Amino acid sequence: MRRAGALGLLALLLLPAGAAAVKQRTSMSLVLPQVMCVTCQIPLSQAQSPQADDERRYIRQLIDRGDTLAQVKSALVVQYGSAVLALPPDRGFDVTVYLVPVVVVAALVALLALLLTRWRRTPRSAPADGAGGSRQLSSADTARLEEDLRRYD
Amino acid sequence: MNRRIGPIVTALVAAALLALLGYGLAKQGPSRALDAAVEAGRQPAAPQVSQALPVLDRLRAQRASISHWRGGVIVVNFWASWCTTCDAEEPLLERTQRALLAGHEGTVLGITYKDVSSYSLSAIKRYGLSFPNLRDADGSFAAAYGTAQLPETFVLNSRLHVVAISRGPIPQAAWLARAISAAEA
Repeated sequence: MRRAGALGLLALLLLPAGAAAVKQRTSMSLVLPQVMCVTCQIPLSQAQSPQADDERRYIRQLIDRGDTLAQVKSALVVQYGSAVLALPPDRGFDVTVYLVPVVVVAALVALLALLLTRWRRTPRSAPADGAGGSRQLSSADTARLEEDLRRYD
Repeated sequence: MNRRIGPIVTALVAAALLALLGYGLAKQGPSRALDAAVEAGRQPAAPQVSQALPVLDRLRAQRASISHWRGGVIVVNFWASWCTTCDAEEPLLERTQRALLAGHEGTVLGITYKDVSSYSLSAIKRYGLSFPNLRDADGSFAAAYGTAQLPETFVLNSRLHVVAISRGPIPQAAWLARAISAAEA
């Protein structure tokens, strides 16, 4: 009797896990944003063509059969190839879709870092004579400057 | 030295991006190399003749390539169950298949393009097609022929060279008869 009670309790504890393991059916609204019309090459949700209608009909069949989102996508790839997925796979030439933006951003950051380093090394006001420090007036200029200043006194 | 690295790296990255853009653009449009060769009176080798494609039947167990039918005329027809203009030429293709079989001259070979296999099978049954059909699941085979819209027909000779091309529906029964005669010559 005690053993039966323990088994019943165990079954109750396992019930939620079992229920969660039951595959979750998907819906058109979940699938459509993730797939393309393979002949029009636009998202299936926006496509109007006989092929797009066929694709939607096939998805409806899979959903009615009780397939999950992953199963629907996998069945679509079997029928139409990987081009049916809105996000391309991360292998082969398609990997450039993910790599190029990273490479471009990295190159821009590197270029910016290089330019900033160079800009910081450059003195803010370059000396006119290139010798550095303040410019020394010649004795004639000094005399003229003093003459001018005296005139203003 | 450091001053030169920046512009060199920038130029290299820009060149790589331009090359990638060029490759992407070139990959976008359908190739018309076969059409140009046929129009110039040449008979170019049919592409992808060894690419094994799934045979469209209920069992879906076999794969075959075009080279399997080497030695006779092959009328390669790209079609799909969703293609409304394909319907009209199916009776002509079926008559052609019977004539080719009767004369042991070759075969019509259907290639379904971006089509759900069960829908293709239903169409085969509906039209009563007796010629073999292969499935081009990802469109890579069709791409090699520059196929972007259906239906399209290619007539190959016994050496698997392209003799005639029809982009769109077969213009007339006489066009197909002439193309087959040219392929047999």
